[in-house]
Amino acid sequence: MSAIIEVNDLTKRYKNAKEPAVNCVNFTVEDGEFFAFLGPNGAGKTTTISILTTTLAKTSGIVRISGFDAEKEARKVREKVGIIFQKPSLDPSLSAEENIRFHACLYGMCGYRPGFKLMPAAYRNRVMELAEIVGIKDVLFKPVKKLSGGMQRKLEIIRSLIHTPQVLFLDEPTQGLDAVSRRSLWDYINNVRKRNGTTVFLTTHYIDEAENVDKVCVINRGKITACCPPEEMKKSLLRQELILNAEDRGSLATELSELGLSYTLDGYFIVPYQGLSAQQIIARLNTRLTILKIHEPSLEDAYVEFLNKTGGKAE
Amino acid sequence: MSAMVLQRNKSKLYRELNTVVAIAARDITLVLKSPGMLIMSLAMPIIMMGMLGGNLAQNMAGGLGFQYGRFMMIGMLINMLFMVTTMAMTSLVDDHETDFTQEMLVSPVSRYSIVVGKILGSMFGAIISMAGTLVVGLFMGITLSLKQLFLILALSPLMCLSAGALAMIIIGLIKNKRTANLAVMFVTMPQIFLSGAIIPINHSSGILLVISRLMPMTYCLDLARAVVYAGTPEYGGVVLFNPVINFAAIAALTVFCMIVGTFGFARSERNR
Repeated sequence: MSAIIEVNDLTKRYKNAKEPAVNCVNFTVEDGEFFAFLGPNGAGKTTTISILTTTLAKTSGIVRISGFDAEKEARKVREKVGIIFQKPSLDPSLSAEENIRFHACLYGMCGYRPGFKLMPAAYRNRVMELAEIVGIKDVLFKPVKKLSGGMQRKLEIIRSLIHTPQVLFLDEPTQGLDAVSRRSLWDYINNVRKRNGTTVFLTTHYIDEAENVDKVCVINRGKITACCPPEEMKKSLLRQELILNAEDRGSLATELSELGLSYTLDGYFIVPYQGLSAQQIIARLNTRLTILKIHEPSLEDAYVEFLNKTGGKAE
Repeated sequence: MSAMVLQRNKSKLYRELNTVVAIAARDITLVLKSPGMLIMSLAMPIIMMGMLGGNLAQNMAGGLGFQYGRFMMIGMLINMLFMVTTMAMTSLVDDHETDFTQEMLVSPVSRYSIVVGKILGSMFGAIISMAGTLVVGLFMGITLSLKQLFLILALSPLMCLSAGALAMIIIGLIKNKRTANLAVMFVTMPQIFLSGAIIPINHSSGILLVISRLMPMTYCLDLARAVVYAGTPEYGGVVLFNPVINFAAIAALTVFCMIVGTFGFARSERNR
């Protein structure tokens, strides 16, 4: 794999701002990678995405997308990317389909015609296919202002994918979506990734959405504080634990002590693995257990722990 | 999967033209979907031509050496093009407020195509207002021949481009709808008087002369009057410049405003 996004010493200082919003940031994203860019509010996520998608000028540094300089070759960069902005960027007076048609024309996917039925068959089929998948087929010809927030988000997803971008930037794409819509949306995005090898650059406050990414980058106060696969982050910050309880709590406590296993009591016995596997610990216990749980730390646990350690503010 | 696959057209020129058409079509669709905008486009001529123009014709038309009604109507036609196009261009500020400009600016097209498309879309409302002005003129007994009408219509895209380019300078600087509306009034209202839309400016001097010569509408009006009055004895009293000079001045001012305005607009969106 080769780097499709390269960011070197990127700095952005807004006009009249005392501190830079993004300060000397470095990272790379490989072709086809699912990359999560996490951080608390105001950390610099949207600023970074805006610079990468050429909608905001940087103060200094180098940004290359698909080998093209984001400033000097902005047009070539725009050809390669698709974006779902944090705030919806739809025309509320146009219908859902008219918004998609407008986007498709801007990206040269088809010539403009003043009606859906007059558009080329390839366009009509693609729109209907995507609308079916994300579940907005019934509202395709309704004005956007009459669609719910979730429907509008789904519409933005169709719009961002109609030109099959090489890199898809998702700036908090599921904000305001219900659980079912979130799941169907991620199913679809994962399918697109598998089918087209699309690189996905995600920022989100729902950390569970980043659980299956290839690489996580945490930004805080404009600086990258961690950049590694999520498993690595979890391992370095959190420990795996067994949660145990027994009717005879005294016997369990004695047994754990005799086995040299330290534990903490928080209603239950919380036993870190301490170099053993969960199975090895359980096999050594004779006390009859009433509760046995294996606690695998989530990315969210690691993220919160990481922000607490680095002095950031967890969401 | 679809049997036919959507593919990007590789011709850069086709894509730019397609962008212009799509953006213009969007603005036309918005006007057609908004009865309020259509009514306003038709009501403007009644106020400007019927009331303001009618009143001037009744009270100030003596001793000019030419028929004031026709002079004023050509002024009002061009003023409508300028006023409505400039006002419609402020929808770019609306787009900024709803973040729709992001959708346009992140697309791989020239910023000039976006602006030209926007101007041509704004022209639709302007043409409606122009038609309304002709109807009001008809009621006032002022008419144009079909040839004159056709020539003015043929010139109207150039005039709308000129008006839109001027509006871009304002839009490049202002990102708030209320301020943009005020700024548009600030530009369009003086133009009515200083560029000779309703009052002859043959005797302007000093700073007012300088301002009038810097306004693209002065040359647009003069070109339109040159077309209408060509071959008539009133030509010398009504037309200020040779049509070639008018054309060159319109082109130069339009190109200048377009470059400065588009640069300012794109820059203000990216440089925050």
